[in-house]
Amino acid sequence: MRVMQTSRMLAVYFWAMVVYLIFPILIVLPVSFSDNELLRFPPTAFSLRWYQSYFNDPVWVDATLISFRVAVVSMVISTTAGTLAALAINAAPKRLAGPLTYGATLPIVIPHIFIALGVFILAIRSGLTDNEMMLALAHAAVAMPFVVLITSAAIRQIDPTIARAARVLGAGPLRAFRVATLPPLIPAIVAAAIFAFFVSFDELIIAQFLMKGSETLPMRIWADLRLDFNPTVAAVSTLLIVVTSLAMGVAETLRRRAARTLAP
Amino acid sequence: MKRISLIWLLLPAVLLLAAFIVMPTFDLIRASIFDPDFTFKHFQRLVERGVYIDVMWRTVRVSLIVAVICTIVGYPVAMFINLQPKKRQVALLFLILIPMWMSVLIRTFAWIVVLGREGLINDLMIGLGMTDGPVQMLYTSGTVITAMVQIMLPIQIITCYSAMTEIDLDLMRAARVLGARRWQALTRVYLPLSYDGTLTGLVIVFMMSMGFFITPALLGGRQDMMIANLIEFQVQHLNWSFAAAIGIVLLVLTVSMILLLRWTGRFAFRRLLNVGR
Amino acid sequence: MTYKLKLMPAAAVTLALLTGPALAQDKVLTIAGSGGAVKDATEQIFLPAFTEATGWSTKFVAAESNIMLEVETMLKAGNMLYDAMEVSASAYPTGVQNGFLAPIDYALLDPDNTLPEAAKKEFGVVAAAYSTVLVQRLDKNPEGRKMESWADFWDLETFPGPRSLKRQPQYTLEFALLADGVAKDEIYEVLGTDEGLDRAFAKLDEIKDSIPVWWTSGAQSVQLLSDGEVFYSTTYNGRVNKLQESGIPVEIMWNGGALHTSYVGIPKGAPNYEMAHEWIRVRTMRPELEAEYVKFLPYPNFAPGLFDTMTEEQAAQMPTFKANADAQFVADEEFWAANIDRIQERFDEWLLF
Repeated sequence: MRVMQTSRMLAVYFWAMVVYLIFPILIVLPVSFSDNELLRFPPTAFSLRWYQSYFNDPVWVDATLISFRVAVVSMVISTTAGTLAALAINAAPKRLAGPLTYGATLPIVIPHIFIALGVFILAIRSGLTDNEMMLALAHAAVAMPFVVLITSAAIRQIDPTIARAARVLGAGPLRAFRVATLPPLIPAIVAAAIFAFFVSFDELIIAQFLMKGSETLPMRIWADLRLDFNPTVAAVSTLLIVVTSLAMGVAETLRRRAARTLAP
Repeated sequence: MKRISLIWLLLPAVLLLAAFIVMPTFDLIRASIFDPDFTFKHFQRLVERGVYIDVMWRTVRVSLIVAVICTIVGYPVAMFINLQPKKRQVALLFLILIPMWMSVLIRTFAWIVVLGREGLINDLMIGLGMTDGPVQMLYTSGTVITAMVQIMLPIQIITCYSAMTEIDLDLMRAARVLGARRWQALTRVYLPLSYDGTLTGLVIVFMMSMGFFITPALLGGRQDMMIANLIEFQVQHLNWSFAAAIGIVLLVLTVSMILLLRWTGRFAFRRLLNVGR
Repeated sequence: MTYKLKLMPAAAVTLALLTGPALAQDKVLTIAGSGGAVKDATEQIFLPAFTEATGWSTKFVAAESNIMLEVETMLKAGNMLYDAMEVSASAYPTGVQNGFLAPIDYALLDPDNTLPEAAKKEFGVVAAAYSTVLVQRLDKNPEGRKMESWADFWDLETFPGPRSLKRQPQYTLEFALLADGVAKDEIYEVLGTDEGLDRAFAKLDEIKDSIPVWWTSGAQSVQLLSDGEVFYSTTYNGRVNKLQESGIPVEIMWNGGALHTSYVGIPKGAPNYEMAHEWIRVRTMRPELEAEYVKFLPYPNFAPGLFDTMTEEQAAQMPTFKANADAQFVADEEFWAANIDRIQERFDEWLLF
């Protein structure tokens, strides 16, 4: 059931924006099946050579897996730390909230090259270059401000009386949090997590300094910049979209099935 | 008691920032400002040579334009998603996130295919006889902004959306029942409740754009320089002190821009409310 | 202030505990160099040969344009991770001036003195020669004409159409001076004076409006030519054959190109200084390996007898092929290392205003 009549114009506008956002696929997809040495559109002949070159090259495959692992770990760390910090900031006295928020957003305004070099020094001193955990932590630090900003905005909009009511009605602080404060925050936390994931997944500069030996996906992609772009990049992008769409579809099916079996 | 639990909540974030941001960069920046004694000469050079201030100004301007466009364009998109049945919302958000899986590099290539001299639009226009020769669309500030908005828009939409989910749509319905026009219901009910998240999205997009340099370098003309390029050049040539000086000015500039954005945002928002009245 | 100094090692220890001890590995030579195609070719050709020759295994680190910065940082932190490294043409003088590089022990490397003098520098051995050259789309040229000199590149009437140059003063201002009639061996002398610099920028003014885009990476310049975004562009000679194989009619103009050499060197404090020489020997003195390498990338070095392994046609594609080398000038990296800050600032201002 529709909660509110959305105007047809809004729907048309929405789909127009979707086209603007995803049109590159219409070019990337055919190019990934091209047999040309260089990125050329339209492709002249069909071939799977770029998919072969992706799967036959352990560096490409490893790079993808490393980027995924690092991004997931970094996402968990930054989302947890950032959400807790946002809760604290919004519970703090008003005159502290402002400075705390700006303190937490510091990493965004520092050029990444400075952070990269600083973290690199830390890694050399502790002998932790080429360490995925180290990279994940650095990415988590860079992504955390976004988490703080997004969850803070949501916290400010939640009615604090609900949590207070829960406390008055006898719930302990943790329970009040879990039952009253947390649920309405979930969308914002998920949004922040998505954000944190991509901050890490796309990050290049810190990874270049830290990873000595193994490579992340952006490192592998940008390494080609010196000489030529070849369609492997197109193949990778296509694969990522297909795999995540499938995962999404499977998750949705499972959820529906679970919902059916659970229903009386 | 309460103070202590607040500190515990802040601890993970503080540790993370201290270990990976503040301590590493603090040392670096301090070493640069005291070269070996405190010096203003780098800041002096910054002000004396036109290029740095000019590029900084250009960076701020482009970032601001991108952030404002993303906000205006993204808000209705987020609203549309939020007004759909819950089950569809997830699928639509997923759709919005699809471009994020494509490397920025390959998306740049897609723009060249569409807007290039021998690109799709020029082919079409020449085919239709609308123009004799190819029209130069690439390598202009317009292209840079169009491409940057495309990269940033999902971020803005997700942030806006996450702020809208808590809006009680019954309030909108109530407003309509009580005789409010659609526009009034929107500006008087919906907008105030999603204002904070929207402004946050704007600030995030602005800050992220300030650090951009790849898209402007690949799709921009000779004047589309970003401050990140200049910093990178100085760092690569081991001119630490000067790079840090640019970094510090940039930091001050960005923070004051954010304060200004928040302030004008609040002001504009109040004006909008009054117009609705 | 003091707590920060105390916290730094504490944070490092905590991290070490969190992430597990770093594995100590013996007999691994760590080599830093370009990623992408260069890394692929090195891994296929040189690394196995090195392992075969020495019994050591290797770790190849893809380090891009920040390599000197990394070396500086590692030296300051007192922990050099690299045993040997690629030193690009422009990084070499920086490395030498700042004392980042260890001298090459030629008695150890080349006791029989087989390397030509041109290959031997105090802090590096030439690993690759490459050129910044003008490449033209033959299909965009006017009937029966093609560019033969930098003066043609500046001739907007005979050769109309969009052009591109690299967004940096190095190997851009030189071309402007050549177009303005300066002799090849006087370029840097002229460029070193204020009038010479003015002259180069004044010459660039003439074509400013015909350059819609200034490229920033090699791949971008290749793509610009491939997409027809520009008809004429400087680029590295390395990927021109790929453009041709893709069916794009392009041709190199060797006349007035800039010839560069990049090196393999040893950073100061390298843990395996002597073994690094073995690597340099494999990388620079084995013509049969190098012959394989230049099939991937036409960036030859001075391995003795390299040109004997090539066909005439292959050899003619090399930047160090006699006819090609004679037509070019040797880029003066020391001039640029000394003047880049000042000239880059002026160049950026010229682009902006």
